[in-house]
Amino acid sequence: MNTMEGVVLKLPYSFRIIKPNPNRTFRTVSLASASVTVASPDPILGPGSLGHLTRPDFPILHQEVNGKRLVYLDNAATSQKPTAVIRALQKYYEAWNSNVHRGIHFLSAKATDEYELARHKVANFINASDSREIVFTRNATEAINLVAYSWGLSNLKAGDEVILSIAEHHSAIVPWQFVAQKTGAILKFVSLTDNEVPDIGKLREMLSKKTKLLVVHHVSNVLASVLPINQIVSWAHDVGAKVLVDACQSVPHMVVDVKNLDADFLVASSHKMCGPTGIGFLYGKSELLSAMPPFLGGGEMIADVFLDHSTFAEPPSRFEAGTPAIGEAIGLGAAIDYLSGIGMQNIHDYEVELANYLYDSLQSVPKIRVYGPAPSQTVDRAALCSFNVEDVHPTDLATFLDQQHSIAIRSGHHCAQPLHRYLGINASARASLHFYNTKEDVDDFIRGLKDTVSFFASYK
Amino acid sequence: MNTKNPQIFMPLNCAFLSPAKSRSRNTNPRNRAAFCLTISEPPLLQTLSVFQKVQALDLEFKSLSEPIDRVKRLLHYANLLPQFDESAKILENRVMGCTAQVWLEVKMDNNGVMKFRVDSDSEITKGFCSCLIWVLDGAKFEEILTVQTDDLIEMNVGLPSRGHSRVNTWHNVLISMQKRTKDLVEERNGQTIPSLIHDITVNGSYKETQNHNAVM
Repeated sequence: MNTMEGVVLKLPYSFRIIKPNPNRTFRTVSLASASVTVASPDPILGPGSLGHLTRPDFPILHQEVNGKRLVYLDNAATSQKPTAVIRALQKYYEAWNSNVHRGIHFLSAKATDEYELARHKVANFINASDSREIVFTRNATEAINLVAYSWGLSNLKAGDEVILSIAEHHSAIVPWQFVAQKTGAILKFVSLTDNEVPDIGKLREMLSKKTKLLVVHHVSNVLASVLPINQIVSWAHDVGAKVLVDACQSVPHMVVDVKNLDADFLVASSHKMCGPTGIGFLYGKSELLSAMPPFLGGGEMIADVFLDHSTFAEPPSRFEAGTPAIGEAIGLGAAIDYLSGIGMQNIHDYEVELANYLYDSLQSVPKIRVYGPAPSQTVDRAALCSFNVEDVHPTDLATFLDQQHSIAIRSGHHCAQPLHRYLGINASARASLHFYNTKEDVDDFIRGLKDTVSFFASYK
Repeated sequence: MNTKNPQIFMPLNCAFLSPAKSRSRNTNPRNRAAFCLTISEPPLLQTLSVFQKVQALDLEFKSLSEPIDRVKRLLHYANLLPQFDESAKILENRVMGCTAQVWLEVKMDNNGVMKFRVDSDSEITKGFCSCLIWVLDGAKFEEILTVQTDDLIEMNVGLPSRGHSRVNTWHNVLISMQKRTKDLVEERNGQTIPSLIHDITVNGSYKETQNHNAVM
């Protein structure tokens, strides 16, 4: 009979806090005596993993749904928030709430400082040169629309080409359809390789002097593929084209360095990176933002207002009309502090292991089809899997998993209808993980999924 | 009506207890679905109004305290849905706004009685639709327009909110049924029935874009 005595793990040094965060302390335990006669636990996914250590920080995860432990696997839709972020929001409204940038009293000054500090945190987080290259928006969708209406309408004309992949999120496609209709620019789409990743070889062939913009995701929210952005940007710049990177699924999960990528524009949403909803950001190179006309008009973005004309502020204020989401920006800053305390490389390394475990575990489900590339030595997948099971609609899968097993996944087209059409399917189910998920979450999901498949088979 | 009386909602011969029996060749699926709802004789069920059927459905699903039992009940009703003609699976019959695909065919006879047929690629959605068909198929158009989406809130499986999200399929299907009923009535009578649903129109550049896309 196997026994275990005093099995505890000492975390590798890299898991310790790099920047001390007053809102968060890790519990580190030392290896005492261990007489382990069972197989050694997985060093990354086993007890004491990043998931196990961080779960206590997320109050929402500690509940039951329909009498069972909630297993939240819908992180690509939105992430959960640690206590530190929730407290930051509460503290703002309890202690500093005031409008920013204009008031001369103490509360306004404090709120302004915290709001602008959040902007600095975002800039540092993605290694932007200057915090003025960060424009706060409602979310990544609004950020893309800002680029489309401000940069796009001013810089695109009839015959110019905008290249996208067919795997782009609707938010990265639809604004450019509007702009194309107004300007006469042409949208071109890159399809997938046999491995179900955007074909960057074909993308390179499509680039020409007519190409003015490339809109591309860093990590696909359906395929889980990761694109070589710095290589793509280099090719685009060679033909004089700008690049807009949708980093919604990368910024929360890995190190993203805009200097290294050399992207012209980059967008992300707070709510996918443990921050509150209602705030996101656009990164834009200074020279580009300076040349762009305003997007929304109103207070804050002006310099002087006359009856017949107005003059406008410098970026980023030029693009932040009206009272901003002050508390939310401060909450995003707190989320960045929290993530930085763990270390984005640590998060990425853990999630790669969890992603591989999820992908491999899904292969044991009968009649399953997982979309996107298979993980390998050279291919990292993001920690999500979109899939279909033969003869069972993904909506039925997701409903049963929720009702019977308290497992939250997503079903539908995941805001990627062109991609689903290309793959020849109407919808798919998707399980997506974050660093606070554990191997046990994946195990529960696989068990529940197999039970679900059996249940529906019994009704056929 | 005592909602906790098992005799009403789980009669001994209820087809629901045996999924295999639900796949029998009974050609009157409405009666089989109704048999799960009440032990009344089928002829009596035929005289139930839309309002009474809605109430019966509401009570039936309220009696199923476990969400999984509501799922199972919906899957049972999905098996009872009449066959849908494949040739009717055209774009005009698609119910938009659903995460599953749903097709709805609506006809009206000379007496103003509405006939509905529906199908979906999702079994749970078919179950929802089967319940809606049972309530509305064969009813006069005036009764159909009186049903409110909130009346069927207890049928929600795992969706406690009344929100009009994309996954509220039965909400979308019900609205479609009502809108297309109105359209048929107006077409027949040559008049417009004022309603918020019918009167939503778009103009300007958005409409031009949609027309352009339709032509494309």
